[in-house]
Amino acid sequence: MAGDTARLAEDTFPKLLLRNAALFGDRPAMREKDLGIWQTWTWSQMLEEVRAFSLGLRALGLQAGGKVAIVGSNRPRLYWTFAAVQSLGAVPIPVYSDAVAEEMAFVLKHAEATMAVVEDQEQVDKLIGLAKRLPKLKHIIYDDDRGLKNYDHTTLHPFDDVQDSGRSLAKADAGVVAAWEKHIHEGKGSDTSVILYTSGTTGQSKGVMLTAERCVGAARDTVAFDRLTETDETLAYLPLAWVGDHYLNYAQGMVAGFCIACPEGPETVAVDLKEIGPTFYFAPPRVFEGLLTQVMIRMEDAGALKRRIFSYFMDVAKQHGEAILDGKPVPFSARLKYALGNMLVYGPLKNVLGFSRIRVAYTAGEAIGPDLFSFFRSLGINLKQLYGQTEAFLYVTAQPDGAVRADTVGLPMANVDIRIADNGEVLFKSPGMFAGYYKDKAKTKETLTKDGYVMTGDAGFFEADGQLKIIDRAKDVGKLKDGTLFAPKYIENKLKFFPDVKEAVAFGDQRDKVCVFLNIDLTSVGNWAERNNIAYASYQELANHPDVLATMEKHVRQVNADLAREPQMAGAQIARFLVLHKELDADDGELTRTQKVRRGFIAERYQPLIDALYSGKNECDITTEVTYEDGRKGKLSARVKIRDVERFAANGMKEAAE
Amino acid sequence: MSLVETLPASQRDILLKVDNISLSFGGVKAITNISFDIRVGEIRAIIGPNGAGKTSMLNVINGFYHPQEGTITFEGVPRPRMRPHHAATHGVARTFQNIALFRGMSTLDNIMTGRGTLMKRNLLWQALWTGPAEREEIEHREAVEKIIDFLEIQHIRKTPVGRLPYGLQKRVELGRALAAEPRLLLLDEPMAGMNREEKEDMSRFILDVNSQFGTTIALIEHDMGVVMDLSDRVVVLDYGKKIGDGTPDEVRANQDVIDAYLGVPHE
Amino acid sequence: MSPDFLYFIETVLNGLMSGVMYSLVALGFVLIFKASGIFNFAQGVMALFAALTLVGLLTGQVPFAHLIHAIFGVEAQHWGAGMPALLAVIGTMVVMIALAFLIERIVLKHLVNQEPIILFMATIGLAYFLEGLGDLMWGSDVKALDIGVPSGGSFWWEDVTREWAAEGSDYFGMYIDKLDVTAAIVAAVLVVALSVFSQYTRMGRALRAVADDHQAALSVGISLRTIWVIVWSIAGFVALVAGIMWGSKSGVQFSLSLIALKALPVLILGGFTSIPGAIVGGLIIGVGEKLAELYIGPLVGGAIENWFAYVVALVFLLYRPQGLFGDKIIERI
Repeated sequence: MAGDTARLAEDTFPKLLLRNAALFGDRPAMREKDLGIWQTWTWSQMLEEVRAFSLGLRALGLQAGGKVAIVGSNRPRLYWTFAAVQSLGAVPIPVYSDAVAEEMAFVLKHAEATMAVVEDQEQVDKLIGLAKRLPKLKHIIYDDDRGLKNYDHTTLHPFDDVQDSGRSLAKADAGVVAAWEKHIHEGKGSDTSVILYTSGTTGQSKGVMLTAERCVGAARDTVAFDRLTETDETLAYLPLAWVGDHYLNYAQGMVAGFCIACPEGPETVAVDLKEIGPTFYFAPPRVFEGLLTQVMIRMEDAGALKRRIFSYFMDVAKQHGEAILDGKPVPFSARLKYALGNMLVYGPLKNVLGFSRIRVAYTAGEAIGPDLFSFFRSLGINLKQLYGQTEAFLYVTAQPDGAVRADTVGLPMANVDIRIADNGEVLFKSPGMFAGYYKDKAKTKETLTKDGYVMTGDAGFFEADGQLKIIDRAKDVGKLKDGTLFAPKYIENKLKFFPDVKEAVAFGDQRDKVCVFLNIDLTSVGNWAERNNIAYASYQELANHPDVLATMEKHVRQVNADLAREPQMAGAQIARFLVLHKELDADDGELTRTQKVRRGFIAERYQPLIDALYSGKNECDITTEVTYEDGRKGKLSARVKIRDVERFAANGMKEAAE
Repeated sequence: MSLVETLPASQRDILLKVDNISLSFGGVKAITNISFDIRVGEIRAIIGPNGAGKTSMLNVINGFYHPQEGTITFEGVPRPRMRPHHAATHGVARTFQNIALFRGMSTLDNIMTGRGTLMKRNLLWQALWTGPAEREEIEHREAVEKIIDFLEIQHIRKTPVGRLPYGLQKRVELGRALAAEPRLLLLDEPMAGMNREEKEDMSRFILDVNSQFGTTIALIEHDMGVVMDLSDRVVVLDYGKKIGDGTPDEVRANQDVIDAYLGVPHE
Repeated sequence: MSPDFLYFIETVLNGLMSGVMYSLVALGFVLIFKASGIFNFAQGVMALFAALTLVGLLTGQVPFAHLIHAIFGVEAQHWGAGMPALLAVIGTMVVMIALAFLIERIVLKHLVNQEPIILFMATIGLAYFLEGLGDLMWGSDVKALDIGVPSGGSFWWEDVTREWAAEGSDYFGMYIDKLDVTAAIVAAVLVVALSVFSQYTRMGRALRAVADDHQAALSVGISLRTIWVIVWSIAGFVALVAGIMWGSKSGVQFSLSLIALKALPVLILGGFTSIPGAIVGGLIIGVGEKLAELYIGPLVGGAIENWFAYVVALVFLLYRPQGLFGDKIIERI
């Protein structure tokens, strides 16, 4: 790589921008689809745009240390705003554009933002509505002028006008540009580069301060790790205020010099993806799940011949696809079949999904089902997992090519130091580690250990091959009476990966064994019942059917076999289970509105069932109050059967081999 | 804002004037002796219970029907016996109650057909695919893309409209009418069959069209609430006769209108 | 390869080639039917008329020579040595466009909004009128048409295929007429051109719009009458191409108008509204006829080619009346 030593000199994003304009001046930096046509800016054009805006902002009174809120979706101008603000030594603060006014008010007030750069009328309206509560907010700059013509423009400015004023300044005096660049070179790596507010799922949002040198340093490591270069391309569709977007697109883009494409709108992402064909891609598991469902639905509608070709070659892919991707030895005939499949099925499919050119793809955020993960990998898509946090500026661990597994999150990234605390919590020190929460020393202190490690709040452990496995939130992890580690969510997820298990609730903390409640998936099991001519009148009846119970027992046994293979988890195999007589429901308070199980509440509500599980009874009568969809309340009585499940020896090798 | 737009509706120039129009189908009177006007830049609603003659009125303005009596004056010029495609070339565009889109064609192509009347090169030029015709096509495509952007339908640009949900089809149809850059836009029950959210969206688009492009709009609507919020002035028809005309407030206070809507069963 | 198998291939190939000819005629039907819902019985005669005009222009025939002779006594069969092929084709096209104008002015304009059956009747009348007009203008004798389309068997192909035959068998190679190959290429180009035209030009868009919804087309300012002139002109153009191909193959004669009848089963197979349907339908009929002649023909005493297509069409009418590619047409006819 050219000038490696010179590269290391750039420790802020504006410095990288200057470098990229010099190094890759004519290469694309940004694309945006406007009026149906992809518009492209080269690095030198982008530098000019950023500079014009930056000078305009300064003319509006922005100074070093000032805070600028950025609200909107992935628009080139909003990305330029980051660089323009950073060039002045001021700090950009991206805010979730779908945030309700209350949340937005909190962030802007807490950050003491004096300016806001926003996408359109919707955001302008929100901020104008909050004007009384944000006395420090002096200027609002907007990108899209639709519907804003008749607004009072004393504190409101079109993006173009700000740039124009910057341009005329630069034109009037050549020294201005030189001074602007000089100011960038004087910027220090220890300056705060950005403050990212974590979305407030638990209490009030916290502003994670990240310094420039750490951001750039972390991005350097991962760019090298995945060998990203200026020839790569991404589609930026994740929320601007999320650490993932800021890292994956803005930071890596600046470091590697690759091109960021902005979709036309949130609904057009699928089409834009196909047209751009990114080489680097990130999506949370649910996006992949949605894509798989779409593909399957489309195949259901296809003709018989097409369906047969598809299922034949998907079997080929299932057998050999991942091995071929990982460069493992595969028989020649299988390679031949795979190549044919690539021509007929995988290639066209990837093209439709926009995955034809993908070199590196990541997923993270939650556990991904092994079948789902394998499906995409077997098509030849290099999908990997990573684990990270806003406080780490994203990456803590990632899977290197060729060492990809569905159930782990990878090896520690370069220069990342990970330690597992006694309670199983994952602690880390990393190059991109945050500098603290903005204006909140107490919280910062709470999050760091005495020797300066960040506490993630997640429990996990290292596998024999050095890959980290995340099992649960640390606070939910408990111990069986004999001291064995018990991670309820880990067990529940394993069960939920079976399509006919809808929900699972595991108990075991401070008890002598692990027991679970199951909910069957009515759609999936109902289909099965129809195919096998099993009549049923209700969920309860189907859930109690001996064949269903047998299937569930098989699943639980399979999970036990899986658990036995993992030395850390083998002790927490499931001893007994039952299938609940009703579906867990948010209306009854058993699930949160985001469909997460409320374990404690469920344990209380079904106390008789728990007692029966742990007392060794084989069945139990229970009456439960339920709320119907129309709001009426009723009572549901049932006799629930309880089954014991075979457990495996800890090394489990023999059983696991089957 | 142009000077015209700052004037209240009652002070502006008259765009279309309907004088003593009567229309009957084989002896059955659909419209009896109706007169009203539409002024430049206003949103004018024509309301009334079912069978009041609203759609017939629109069809008369549009040239689908020819009234037996009365005159229609558009932009100061009397227009006897106007044919639908002439209405289109003279700046009147419309949408239909039951959506009349080209179902097999994409959203983009549908809206492009709306530009037909504005294309200078005639069809034969086009067939030869000459340079000027191609340049013209590109200009028109750009105008259409602006409409697509305006109506926020980028994601269905290439989708055949037959496959779209109802609400989006209505929006495409509005787009096609807008593409003609009409001076008078006729909307036949633009919100029929929509849910609340879709109605709100459509209302916003109608208001935006009016304020952004200054287009004069005449609309028929069943939903009284929506009409009163949208319109500058309202004409009320009942059994083919005009029973009220004025601002929404005036119409609301009109006893005949109240009777027509509440007192007399109108099914 | 055994000679039997090679004969089979040869039959299929020849079937495909003659199928192309059917497709060319069917194409004209589909175009008009799609845009106006009219089943144009005169399409075959239009092909004949185009071919007659072309020959007339090529050879420098004086139109209405007999009529002129009868009325004025002037004997003038030829006015010169004729014109170059390209010019003659363009001239014929001009005549076909003029014809489209006249049809719209004289016939269709007065039949707007009439039942399809009435329009169909009108086209039957048109067919007889055109046949008579052609006779009157250019005479009824069989004429050779040669505008330089290559014809005759391909020796190269014979040589190539002779190699394929098993050693020692007395196989003399496959016979394929170059004219047929040319027709296939022309048909392919025509189909591509038509679909590009209909997808990417403004006129094509207008045509699709009219085919889709008349009322909506009117409201966006598309004039139906202009569209009809255009459609009939295009159908005239397709008729000209078909006329050239058929005329070059078997001479320009009045039996040419009968090929229109063969196009009917093709349409029933392919669907009345589908351009690909017209092509595929033509090919299936072509191949089917030839194969039936080869394998069933000896059993029933031959001449299967004359009726096979209609049997296939009948079967289709029973089991799939909308054809292979067509929309449901039950209501329209």
